[in-house]
Amino acid sequence: MLTLTEKDISNLEKLKNKAILITGGSGFIGTWLIQLLIWLNDKYHFNVKLYLIARHATGALDTFIDSRQDIIFIQDDIRNIREFPKDIVYIIHAASSPDNRIYMSNPIESMNIITDGTKNTMENALLLEKLEKIVHLSSGQIYGTLDSHNITENDFGKLNCNSITAIYPEAKRYAETLVNAYRSLHKLPIVQVRPFSFIGPFMSLNKPWAINSFIRDVLKTKNIRILGNGKPIRSYMYPTDMALWILNMLANGKNGAAYNLGSDMGISLEEVALKIKNIVGSSVSIETLNMNDDCSEFVPNIDYARRELGLDIAVHIDDALLKSIQWFEKNLV
Amino acid sequence: MIHKINLYDVTLRDGSHAISHQLSISQVDEYTKAIDTTGVYAIEVGHGNGLGASSVLVGQSQLSDEILIKTAKNNLQHTKLGIHVIPGFATIKKDIEKALSWGVDIVRVASHCTEADITERHLGYVREKGKEAYGLLMMSHMASPEILLDEAIKMQTYGAEAIVILDSAGSYLPDDVKARITLLSQNLNVPVGFHAHNNLGLGISNSLVAIEAGAQIIDGATKGFGAGAGNAQMEVLAAVLQKMNYKTNVDLYRLLDVADLVEKDLIKEPITISSLSIVSAIAGVFSGFSKHVKRIAKEFNVDPRDIFMELGKQKVVAGQEDTIIDIALKLQKRI
Repeated sequence: MLTLTEKDISNLEKLKNKAILITGGSGFIGTWLIQLLIWLNDKYHFNVKLYLIARHATGALDTFIDSRQDIIFIQDDIRNIREFPKDIVYIIHAASSPDNRIYMSNPIESMNIITDGTKNTMENALLLEKLEKIVHLSSGQIYGTLDSHNITENDFGKLNCNSITAIYPEAKRYAETLVNAYRSLHKLPIVQVRPFSFIGPFMSLNKPWAINSFIRDVLKTKNIRILGNGKPIRSYMYPTDMALWILNMLANGKNGAAYNLGSDMGISLEEVALKIKNIVGSSVSIETLNMNDDCSEFVPNIDYARRELGLDIAVHIDDALLKSIQWFEKNLV
Repeated sequence: MIHKINLYDVTLRDGSHAISHQLSISQVDEYTKAIDTTGVYAIEVGHGNGLGASSVLVGQSQLSDEILIKTAKNNLQHTKLGIHVIPGFATIKKDIEKALSWGVDIVRVASHCTEADITERHLGYVREKGKEAYGLLMMSHMASPEILLDEAIKMQTYGAEAIVILDSAGSYLPDDVKARITLLSQNLNVPVGFHAHNNLGLGISNSLVAIEAGAQIIDGATKGFGAGAGNAQMEVLAAVLQKMNYKTNVDLYRLLDVADLVEKDLIKEPITISSLSIVSAIAGVFSGFSKHVKRIAKEFNVDPRDIFMELGKQKVVAGQEDTIIDIALKLQKRI
């Protein structure tokens, strides 16, 4: 699955023999966290007991839950849980989908899962005597309309709360503030993590993001269509890095800190398309429709996590694309 | 910056309304052969209400979707082939999957202007198949610019690669167009398009206002051959855009030849702005209702203009044609 260094293992020592709860365990991030944790159990004898809460056991999760003794699956809506198992020491609160199609079509329900789901998680966390840390998975979208290739944890752009596009980021901003209120009032040990963009296995290629569309289109039609001019700059983290970073933030993140989670290697959509073409082969065509002049940049600065937690990017974009395409070639239905 | 304007030809789809969906194979064959030489970006074929819509309720096509699409595709080397899809009339498995296999390049998924939610699966499916997917907001005069923007953002999120707003009732004044297209083009990441109807004689000028406000896709029909008072007359639009130095890729002479062909072979009665078209625009009712209204008004001996005004009060939309009889009956009793 992935190669871990001695340093990687020693950084995660605190998690050994502990019970960890992941809310939203069936999503992309949840799936990768589970993969990494069971890898740590199997290969490095971490003896982590893993509680998962999700409304449905979908995709990869479905293949784990019946066969593994170290996973306890609680099928429920996070808003309905009345009490967490008492032995939980760590919580990763990941319940909510960043899929903007869902929050466009079901905006009230989508906001409610984030707001009430987060509140219920915090209320239940208050009752845990052994609790050492909560990682709250927020979103890079809380930075709003920033146009920058160097977004630090203290940069905040505008959010127009009267726009339907604000449903998810506003709810996530609220959730961060709520979680901080629990830290302030009840002294809950909390770390905020703000994910940006990822590409890798277990991701749905039907998500309405450019890189997903490029890979899907190239595998299905050998043609990549770039709607605009191909100039917008984004960055993509491979999910093994993502999962390892989150576990590090859980084990070693500073109480009260917020960390960006993503790659700081900006790349234009045009370059992404060319890299995909180079991997798949010369039969691929790239069509740039030039229908807009968007040249925006949205790339996190990850120096804080690098400096404080000693983390770095292990899988660069070329490898990330190669591994992703190889996986999707086998798994794309 | 002046963008390139893509002209999108709806003659063989919107024009179907004008001839009660009775396009013949030879008409489709001749027209598509001719239009392919003009540089027009795309052409749409089908029943007036789109794929899968042929029915007793809204009128039965002479030709099946399969024949229409295959005949057109056979002649198109340069111009893309589009279809109009209203979820409900068209379903993914029964209609869209087959249409894509027959060679459709662009699928324009349309909903009433406040119901973009119903387009999610259809748009997603088209994108998944690697074809161009547009979102269309019909009867757009019935929503404020702000609500239209919300609905347009939804379609963009579902995967639409362009959003086209339709003046289905031909009731827009230039300022209405300006307000909507400006807001959409400033807030969407995908190109915005405009589809005019000529009920108030503003088809061309409203299209120009849309372009000035940021629209990059403009629908038109040769000789204005569309529902009711017709659409923006495409060859006139192409000439005006050429004079204004907009880039359209269109060879004007060839397009004028196509217009002559349409006049000779396609149009039985010239498209004019009838009194009823003016009333339907004032009432804010879809022009496609005209033929039904005329027929039923005659049958029940009531003034068709009164029917239109009542339809407007009831805010009816395409697909609710059966309401016409109810209204005619009530008006008859009142008389």
